[in-house]
Amino acid sequence: MKMHARVLGFLFLIVLVCSALSSAGNAQEPIVIGIPTSLGFLEGRESLSAVEMAVDEINAAGGVRVGASNRPLKVESIDLRDAAPGVPVPEALLGLEKIILEKKPAALVVGPFRSEALMAGMDIIAKYKVPLLGTIAMSPGSEKKIKEDPAKYKYIFRTCLNAVHLVKFLSGTMALINKEFGFNKVYVMYQDVAWARATAELVKKLYFDKTGWTVTGMESYPTGTSDFSSALMKVRSQGAQVIMPVFDMPQSGTLVKQWNAMKVPAILSGFISPLAGSAAWNTFDGKIGGSTNTIFELGSGIGSDKYPPSKAFFDKYMKKYGKEIQAGHGPAPSYESVYILKEAIERAGSLDPDAIVAELEKTDRNGVMGRVKFDAGHQAVYGFDPREASVSTVFQWTDSGRRVIVFPETIAESKIQLPKGLKSLK
Amino acid sequence: MFIGTIIYAIINSFILIMLAMGFNLTFGISGIANFAYGALYVLSAYVSWILLNLLKMPYLLSVMISILLTALLGGLIYRLVLVRVRGQALSEVIATVGIGLSILELFSYFGLVGFEYTLPVFIDHSFMVAGTYVDAQRIFIAGIGLVLVLGLWLFTHHTSTGLAFRGIAQDERTALTFGIDSDRVATLSMALGAGLAAIAATLIIPLGSIAPAEGYDVLIKALAVCIIGGLGSSGGVIVAGFIIGFAERFTDTYIGSHWTMIISLMAILLVLVIKPSGLFGKQKELEERI
Repeated sequence: MKMHARVLGFLFLIVLVCSALSSAGNAQEPIVIGIPTSLGFLEGRESLSAVEMAVDEINAAGGVRVGASNRPLKVESIDLRDAAPGVPVPEALLGLEKIILEKKPAALVVGPFRSEALMAGMDIIAKYKVPLLGTIAMSPGSEKKIKEDPAKYKYIFRTCLNAVHLVKFLSGTMALINKEFGFNKVYVMYQDVAWARATAELVKKLYFDKTGWTVTGMESYPTGTSDFSSALMKVRSQGAQVIMPVFDMPQSGTLVKQWNAMKVPAILSGFISPLAGSAAWNTFDGKIGGSTNTIFELGSGIGSDKYPPSKAFFDKYMKKYGKEIQAGHGPAPSYESVYILKEAIERAGSLDPDAIVAELEKTDRNGVMGRVKFDAGHQAVYGFDPREASVSTVFQWTDSGRRVIVFPETIAESKIQLPKGLKSLK
Repeated sequence: MFIGTIIYAIINSFILIMLAMGFNLTFGISGIANFAYGALYVLSAYVSWILLNLLKMPYLLSVMISILLTALLGGLIYRLVLVRVRGQALSEVIATVGIGLSILELFSYFGLVGFEYTLPVFIDHSFMVAGTYVDAQRIFIAGIGLVLVLGLWLFTHHTSTGLAFRGIAQDERTALTFGIDSDRVATLSMALGAGLAAIAATLIIPLGSIAPAEGYDVLIKALAVCIIGGLGSSGGVIVAGFIIGFAERFTDTYIGSHWTMIISLMAILLVLVIKPSGLFGKQKELEERI
């Protein structure tokens, strides 16, 4: 009898321990963040690293408070390959659906690289009701869809710059060049993808056409193009003083090399992804002095002493991974998105997607790239002062290999300088 | 502008010829369509980059080691994999596609992605040629491309190994009766094809940067040139290289850069409709004769 009581007592103890362990396990069950993007591209890869850095920081600080329990975050990623030339959108969408179904993420961060894939993937995201904080795809087309059918597409947010806001920054830079040097003839070269096409056409329509600039040519290039000699010959023969490139493909580095080799007498000022990071100086053998480039979100690719959170993020990344962020687009909003998501989950007190979305819409926080607030199309608002909105930045390569921020004025370190060999018209 | 377009069209043609030469040589001799060709091109560039930047070897030594290693790998692919499926075209394609994909995906997996992965130019200088600035690297590409074409012709016409190559290419069974070892020749053809891919990478990569996606692009360009020229025909590769090279640059200059790909693909389609075996290809004609 005594023996039976002991055995029963022992079994009861085991059940009790198992139960306690099980409930402890439930309390610690991680919240999965899915990262479906083009991991074979610099922007995608560094964005994933930025997300992992944010997740490590949050977990080290105790995780995310959901109701009464603290839960850690866990990152699951998948390579959509949508940025690679020739990869059809439906193939990228398979990856998007796969990560949603297999990893059961509470939310997605970064998202498709190409706007074409994002636009097509919006129905999948709406179907499974998984909030997405996009940090790379930039076409304003997604916002239009959200505004047209908010009940269906409310799960999609964007924390990175979009093409419309980029237009403001490119126009601002062109106005600066015009003001300083009197240049007013431009040749526009852009990648034939949705965001770049929209950007180039909008800058022409909203700025160049209205301010008396002469657009001597507008050329679109399929992704993967690696020879720009014809356009550069046209720039020279037509007397354009400014080349405005809009490219995010690795091959656009060839444009910089050809611009230099063909000694084209025009300032390069726009966005070329290989020109954004500090490594570009060595990549292009130090022959990029005078060129300017846009960093889409402050903190990605460059930090500013005039806005300390951006510098702190840039330095933390360097410390953690042993090298500076080279992508001028993606990492800062990716890092920021994890914190935005954390705060939204904590305010919602649950992982219910509709509750998270409702809280995401209320976001108002001072983050890495400035103040983050979403507009009606779920786009983070970008402006010229980081204390009021998120900001992009334009820097210029000096002849000594430094990157100096020249725009916007609130964080500018210097005035734009005329590259060697070019003469001001003023 | 017109002269400038011609200059850059000639250079573009030599780039295409160099990209296709290795693929064409292997196919012409051994009948193996090496779909790992683009991956070998990228691999050789990464090897050069690693030797140069991480192991701090001199540039010339780095590229020579890289070319030799890539050629060796090409030979090993035949000896270890393709020899078992020799003659089964579909299996050969599947095997080489698999090897190529594995190589390229490994580079992506290990994070060798970024704009800093590039190779230096031979001489950092530009020259004015007929009123157009051309960089020395592009002039090198045209010059070395010409030398390689001539060198390959001399090799295949005036050396015993080269003659053995041609013997196997013309009629493998008859060549066997003359004591030519077809497996040895196929191994050498794979090695030589891979080596040519590495030489092309050494010359062309400094114009841009190294990226895994380049592997697919190079393969597609090599295939396009070979299909137009006629698979296995060296003369065909040269003519096709010039057709596509000129079509691309003149389309860029006078029609619009977004039409470049369309015009090139239409040129391929047109050639295939008029002459399905390619400009200098013999296979389809032989089939029809049989």
